[in-house]
Amino acid sequence: MTTPLLRRDGRTRKMLNRLGFGSFLLPLTLFMLLVFCLPLIGVIRTSICDGDCSLVAYSDFATGKLFHRALTNTLSIGFITGLVSVTCGYFVAYHLSRMTARRRRLFLVLVMLPFWTSILVKSFAFTVILGTDGIINNALQAVTGTDIVIPMIFNRAGVIIGMAHWLIPFAVFPILSSLLSQDKALRDAAEIMGARPWDIFWKVTFPLSLPGVIAGGLMSSVIGMGSFVTPALLGGRRDMMMANLVDFYVREALDWRMASAIAVILVLIALLILSLAAWLRQRQERGAVA
Amino acid sequence: MSTNPSSSGTPMRFLTRNLSLPVLVTWLIYVFLLVPSLVVIPISFGTSNELVFPPQDWGLDLYRRALDPAEGWLSAAGRSTMLGILATAIALLMGVPAAYGLSRSRFPGQKALTFMLMSPIFAPTIVVALALYLYFATLGMTGTMVALAMSHAVVITPFILVTTLSGLKHLDRNIENAAMVMGATRLQIFFHVVLPALKGSVLTGGLFAFLLSFDEVIVSWFIARSDQPTLPVKMYSSIQWEISPVLSAISTFLVAITVVGSVVAAFTSSAETDGI
Repeated sequence: MTTPLLRRDGRTRKMLNRLGFGSFLLPLTLFMLLVFCLPLIGVIRTSICDGDCSLVAYSDFATGKLFHRALTNTLSIGFITGLVSVTCGYFVAYHLSRMTARRRRLFLVLVMLPFWTSILVKSFAFTVILGTDGIINNALQAVTGTDIVIPMIFNRAGVIIGMAHWLIPFAVFPILSSLLSQDKALRDAAEIMGARPWDIFWKVTFPLSLPGVIAGGLMSSVIGMGSFVTPALLGGRRDMMMANLVDFYVREALDWRMASAIAVILVLIALLILSLAAWLRQRQERGAVA
Repeated sequence: MSTNPSSSGTPMRFLTRNLSLPVLVTWLIYVFLLVPSLVVIPISFGTSNELVFPPQDWGLDLYRRALDPAEGWLSAAGRSTMLGILATAIALLMGVPAAYGLSRSRFPGQKALTFMLMSPIFAPTIVVALALYLYFATLGMTGTMVALAMSHAVVITPFILVTTLSGLKHLDRNIENAAMVMGATRLQIFFHVVLPALKGSVLTGGLFAFLLSFDEVIVSWFIARSDQPTLPVKMYSSIQWEISPVLSAISTFLVAITVVGSVVAAFTSSAETDGI
């Protein structure tokens, strides 16, 4: 037995092992390249080349009134629902963070149930609850004895309510995890120093939970901006978002190039916000080290 | 001395005085979160043809209609179930080994590969739907079960990756090393050591992947044939065009599934949240 042979044996073994990992990763990688990356590249291509090649779809987008409205709708609805979701999510996350682990497990079901409920069930439920002949308006009429009707559906309010309902759980989880990671000794220290609960919250708990708040806010905004079902079912004609515009151009205008261009712009917006989130987190981490 | 009771008493009073409003708001948010899932249940036991809450008469008419083959809900549900099983099978077959490969090796470009495999989570669903629609249209496969199953697999595989990776994190590497010292090959280790130990997270991952696929509407809305809709697609067009009371029976069925899913989710995810 010579050493070189042994070494070669070890090397081949190492190589085989590495190839082994490759074979574990290969099927999914190939699948995703073929059924995810290639189609996405196809979208970019279609947005530029559909028959002939030009940037006409993008210049139309930049100048068109319809596109302008869809863009402002997408950004403002995304921003508002992000804000609403984080605010509501904070209350829930704070409440959950002050429980024993056993109790929290029970209460988490209250967040998980809406999280896992089909968005279609929710949309259907909201049309029944918020409609002109819906539960709220009927109850209001019965109580006040008037035929007052609050328009809460097929308008901006409907979109925001439906979307916040969908996105609050997305905000709860990051906020909850940043609240749970806080050292309780900090709050105890503040209390010993004579701080009142309200001061402890605003000067210790809240600032320390900001990374979670920002992560939750950006996450729910990004998801909200890409949403399609809620504005289609609960919004009015004026609340069309970019996702609905994509659907419109595929299904009704049969203009694949325009649909693709809008999709590309939507992805760019999402990427922009996600990289903002990554940058903020990095800065936060560097700040924590320093 | 007397400082102790007074100092613990003052914060207590502050707590009740200052935090009662936030707690009230929190409970209102819980109600807001739960009501849409629950309100469909009583409506589904009404008999009238109009949506009334609470129902005037009680009965099972809506369930009878939902189960009537002529209405098409049953076949849509069957289609969604089959699709869910197919897509979950594809996702598990590729996702679980891939997660193992990612967690147990280091190679250049690994971060980029991980990002690529996870990216369907971050990409707006409408973009994924459009991309797959154009892709399968060029291939002449739109509306086929194969196209639907592959599309769903794209959407749900990242979730299989996440659950399997978190399961692998808790696995003791020494057991694998021991197997390797005993001469087991990578494949043997994977099938005889890793997979049995991962059973739990693979099962929950598979369950959630199935639920996600069963619930998926946007991709299916683009890919499925309009005369052969999946359950969510049929619901979507039904809510869009005429809000039928039958929807409340379908919704109640879906909420029942969700209750199971969310209880499982709460009990599996709490381990991670508590660990932080």
